[in-house]
Amino acid sequence: MSRKFFDTESPAWVAEGLITEAQRQRLLARYPPDAVPAVGLLPVLGSLLVALSALSVVAANWAALPPWARLALLLGSLLGAYAGGHYFLQRGNRGLGRGLVGLGLVLFGVSIILVSQTYQLVGYDISGLLAWVVAGMALAYAHRSRLLAALTVLIGAAVQTYCTQGLGSYSYATAALLAGGVGYLWWRRPDGLLSTVLAIGLLWQAALWVALAHAKITWFFIPAMLVYAAGDLQPGRAAGRAAQGPPLVAAYLFALGLALFGETDAYAGLLRPPVLAYLGALGAVLALSVLGKKQRGRLDTLPDWLLLLPGFYLPGGLPLAVATLVVLYAHAGSVLVRAHRSQNAEQLTLGTVLFVGATMVAFFKLTWGAFINKSLFFLIGGVLLLGLSWYLRRRNARVLAAAVPPNAPAP
Amino acid sequence: MAPTQAPAPPAPPRRTALLLRLLVGAQVLYVLGVAGAGYATTALGKAVALAAMPADLTTLKTTDFVRLRYAAATVPLAQWRGPAAPRARQSVYVLLAPTGGPAEAAVVGVFAEEPATAPGQAVLRGWVTDVFPRTLGLRYGLERYYVPAASPLRQDRAPRPLRVLVRIAPWGQARIVAVEEIVGK
Repeated sequence: MSRKFFDTESPAWVAEGLITEAQRQRLLARYPPDAVPAVGLLPVLGSLLVALSALSVVAANWAALPPWARLALLLGSLLGAYAGGHYFLQRGNRGLGRGLVGLGLVLFGVSIILVSQTYQLVGYDISGLLAWVVAGMALAYAHRSRLLAALTVLIGAAVQTYCTQGLGSYSYATAALLAGGVGYLWWRRPDGLLSTVLAIGLLWQAALWVALAHAKITWFFIPAMLVYAAGDLQPGRAAGRAAQGPPLVAAYLFALGLALFGETDAYAGLLRPPVLAYLGALGAVLALSVLGKKQRGRLDTLPDWLLLLPGFYLPGGLPLAVATLVVLYAHAGSVLVRAHRSQNAEQLTLGTVLFVGATMVAFFKLTWGAFINKSLFFLIGGVLLLGLSWYLRRRNARVLAAAVPPNAPAP
Repeated sequence: MAPTQAPAPPAPPRRTALLLRLLVGAQVLYVLGVAGAGYATTALGKAVALAAMPADLTTLKTTDFVRLRYAAATVPLAQWRGPAAPRARQSVYVLLAPTGGPAEAAVVGVFAEEPATAPGQAVLRGWVTDVFPRTLGLRYGLERYYVPAASPLRQDRAPRPLRVLVRIAPWGQARIVAVEEIVGK
């Protein structure tokens, strides 16, 4: 509820006797209007412009600068950013302070890169840039800052991308630092934004590994679902769920791709890792996830794992496509049922979108082959949809009837 | 809209302040260390001269560097020494030997594992870019040359053959020390 809404509506509440004027004043005092930020922003914008002009002067003359001058400039701005950050942090201006510390961290990496470039120096492993990740991690812990932790995840992604693409090797240290270091920070101080950034960052690390190792892409889902399981074990429910978003989206897209292209055995063949090793690993992650769900009382989200059913071991062709579609429908249905139980409007919308998505895929997929089977499939889909809608509506009515006390006045 | 935020946290305790200073100091030292590694590579590294051509001098109008095409960037596949066939993006060790005279080093072999060197030889690390039926495309990470403001390359109209002086440090870093134009070719 916004302050503006309260300002305009509350006099009417007083007039209707819902609250007294004294209560209204107390409520107004409880939620003070947001300070006008524009005036505070002016000096920031001004210094930003000055900084940009300085940056462009330096960039234009960079080639003419002798090495010592470049080094002095880089170290000067690095120290300036950190000193400014600490100054503002001590004065209690956390936003600006952490922003400047973050700038210092970015300048550290920029300095490593530009100094190497000044001396035309090439290294053949990632150790030079690994220091950047380590510094980010240390700063995130020292400041207990989720912003710096998120920045470190981005730096880790950049470093790993360079390492795999430029150097042709995988930096396990970077991946381990992100998973262990930032992961621990996230575990202790859960936060929605950091959850999402960290989960996407870890998926990126996993994807780069799969690409570099030329492994079957299904192996990606072992680390991805480990991230998911970590979300189950996380005590903070909102942060845990936020961390599970990216792996679920990846798994859903994969299942969608399997439904669309799985018919050709060539594609399915690309996905089949050794059965025992893959299923063993996936089973272990599933066990961990179930353990977490049980511990935290979130067993209702177990149908998420439907998306991970290894349907690609089925022979390619129609059986695989149909099996995947059934799984997609079952998953959408499970989301709908869960949303309905928890009365969560957003989940309900998501479930509906998933259901419609599965129907669209079925439509595109099945109008290409034999027609009879398709019509039967749509009949089943339609009956399912109608049945679900009937059930949900009935349940909704029952829940609402139970919620309203029998002697309450009609609205 | 949240209820009024708690007042700003107290200033960090002294131990944290000290830790933060140490962290910043370590970063400054690290950057200085990178610069030091540059000087140390010149002082202690093995000198190798490589023949190269600038790929396109017109890029100097917009950027600070030219791309160098090394003669050693394409080697016959017969020079591959490895247990398996070379793969793109694989990291390799290129054994170089001076050809005598002031001229540039020649590739003796491309190895998957670090080879032993005879006196006068040097090992430059690189990556496989392409595997062709008869040749191997290589990349050394030294392809971008940041041209100093005083370099004659900035006055050139047409690309001329270059001699690139490289120093290879015993700990595995390498740097371009100087780029000379080969006169009379």
